[in-house]
Amino acid sequence: MKLSSSFITHNYKDEQLMVAVGSKAKDFHGIVRSNPTAAFIIDLLKTETTLDGIVGAMTEEYDVDEATARRDALAVIEKLRSIGAIEQ
Amino acid sequence: MNYKIADTVFSLGDPGRYCRSLLAGYRTDLPEEFEISVTASDILSERQRSEEPISEGYAESLAVLRKLSDRLLTRDTILFHGSAVALDGQAYIFAAPSGTGKSTHARLWREKFGDRVVMINDDKPFVRVGGRCTVYGSPWDGKHRLSTNASFPLRAVCFLERAERNSIAPLSPSEAIHWFLSQAYREEAVASIFPLILKITDVIPSFLLKCNTDPGAVDVAWSALSDSGPVGGEKC
Repeated sequence: MKLSSSFITHNYKDEQLMVAVGSKAKDFHGIVRSNPTAAFIIDLLKTETTLDGIVGAMTEEYDVDEATARRDALAVIEKLRSIGAIEQ
Repeated sequence: MNYKIADTVFSLGDPGRYCRSLLAGYRTDLPEEFEISVTASDILSERQRSEEPISEGYAESLAVLRKLSDRLLTRDTILFHGSAVALDGQAYIFAAPSGTGKSTHARLWREKFGDRVVMINDDKPFVRVGGRCTVYGSPWDGKHRLSTNASFPLRAVCFLERAERNSIAPLSPSEAIHWFLSQAYREEAVASIFPLILKITDVIPSFLLKCNTDPGAVDVAWSALSDSGPVGGEKC
């Protein structure tokens, strides 16, 4: 799974902001403002990856157990999927 | 032959007659910072992109604009689809898709405020984005050929929608981001433009103006724009 190329991010003032561009902008009008953890996950999704890959990176980067990391990653991925930002 | 546009000096290798005439008001003897050269393939590409048939000279001028705006992006300068006016030395941009009435609205400003208004560029002004933002005239100035070789500090941006009755309301930064993105002149450059749009929406107030073509539209616009904070735009 991967972040759709129609979604672009930029880090501005301690936040990562993400918007849809091109034809996807007709479906999603919002701006995703992400905290550092969500931004970390979104950045990983910019290259083809898996849930396990993301969970592994999170447990390495953060002081968090696997179950929590998996739960948090799933929540972010589902949110992204709901706005059309994930392509399989 | 060297030209200065948006505070940037470039040379153009052997431009055709149309281009030389178009850019005449921007000639300079200053040394160039880079060269723009247009190939036959660039000209062909512009002719293919165009919805209507265009002359070779006009296509060349579009190719120059495309290459110049690519370079200017690296200098935090975006090409904006809108009509830019300066009133008492401060710039306001009226932005909207083609046909909405931004040129008409700018004309109403000229009619109301007379000499106090300078038409910076009626179609595609350049805007340098920073803590302060600057609007520049350029020769690519729309079908009425309205522009001035000058620059002014940007005070506010107004996105226009046609409506029966005139009203104006401020846009939140989030709303403004989407309006700016929809006006990004070059969709393929959106990823480079996005950071600049985040900056400009952070420092410059934006408004949504719903307006008709009556002179009263200017009064409604001015009622909000004149209160939009000091030029330079660092918001409190």
